[in-house]
Amino acid sequence: MSGLGWAVVQGASRFLGRDDREAVLGDVAEACSGFGRAVTDVLDLVIRRQVDLWKSWRPWIAAFALALPCSLLLMGLSLSVSKIVAQIALRWDGAAWWLLLLGPLLLGWSWAGGYVAGSLSKRTLWASAICCLLPCLFCLSRFRGQSVSKYCLLLFLLPAIWGAWQGLRGYRVPRRAAIGMALGITVLAVATSSGGTSLFYCVLIWPAWYVAAAMRRDSQPN
Amino acid sequence: MLGEFEYVLITAAVGLGEEAYGAAIRSEIETATGRTCSLGALYTTLDRLESKGFVATWMGGATAQRGGRAKRMVRVTPKGVQAATEFYNAVMRVSRGASWAVGE
Repeated sequence: MSGLGWAVVQGASRFLGRDDREAVLGDVAEACSGFGRAVTDVLDLVIRRQVDLWKSWRPWIAAFALALPCSLLLMGLSLSVSKIVAQIALRWDGAAWWLLLLGPLLLGWSWAGGYVAGSLSKRTLWASAICCLLPCLFCLSRFRGQSVSKYCLLLFLLPAIWGAWQGLRGYRVPRRAAIGMALGITVLAVATSSGGTSLFYCVLIWPAWYVAAAMRRDSQPN
Repeated sequence: MLGEFEYVLITAAVGLGEEAYGAAIRSEIETATGRTCSLGALYTTLDRLESKGFVATWMGGATAQRGGRAKRMVRVTPKGVQAATEFYNAVMRVSRGASWAVGE
């Protein structure tokens, strides 16, 4: 097999767990299979493993109940925060107070959403990432705002990626910090919501409480 | 009761003894049955057998032939041997009187 072929086989094996990858790449190398059989072997195992993973509720929740709706809502909040910043840059006024409320809210919601997506669906995070990025690309292509750059829509992505990375790595949030974050996010959400946005805010609050509940469960003695 | 492929896999692993691991089992199955066996089918079946307690697997040593990568070693448990024996006996019983059955 050529170097390029082997690189493709190794690339495909990245979707497997460490032990699976080690065993299957070793078997392929030992069998001296041609490129076609090697890549079919690896992809066959990848697909079977992914099908197994999607039999659980976790990847479905992470992709379709979290990543997809939250990315839409957080883009709206990112835009609001960006407009406030642009307004403050021109004239310092009462809008600064809104920034003090919405800024931490955006940070907390994005981080918690990313963390829950990362910890719920470690090996299917690619699907959550697609569900998050597709609405982003759609909104970027449709954005017609004048006051701020269209890339302000993606403000939430940095804390979300940071959270997803920590969730993926199994980072444990101290219990008090997790509860404090959930309470803080809820208070800020209630303080900034109006009639029409309350339902949307509920969608964004649950990841923070999920983190708090998960940390509480982990800290309880068996 | 075991499935056909599960039985074939266990029998191949028992035959290989201490040298039972992914590539060796696949080669044994392909030689014996004359059919291709994918690594995906092999490893997912191994997982299923392991969850039922019919085989035990662990990551073994690496060899230069494998590009320095470890093998997933397989050992058939007594429960697995019993399940394979039951499958074999059932096939023998149901085949009794069949035109292709030998040794009757």
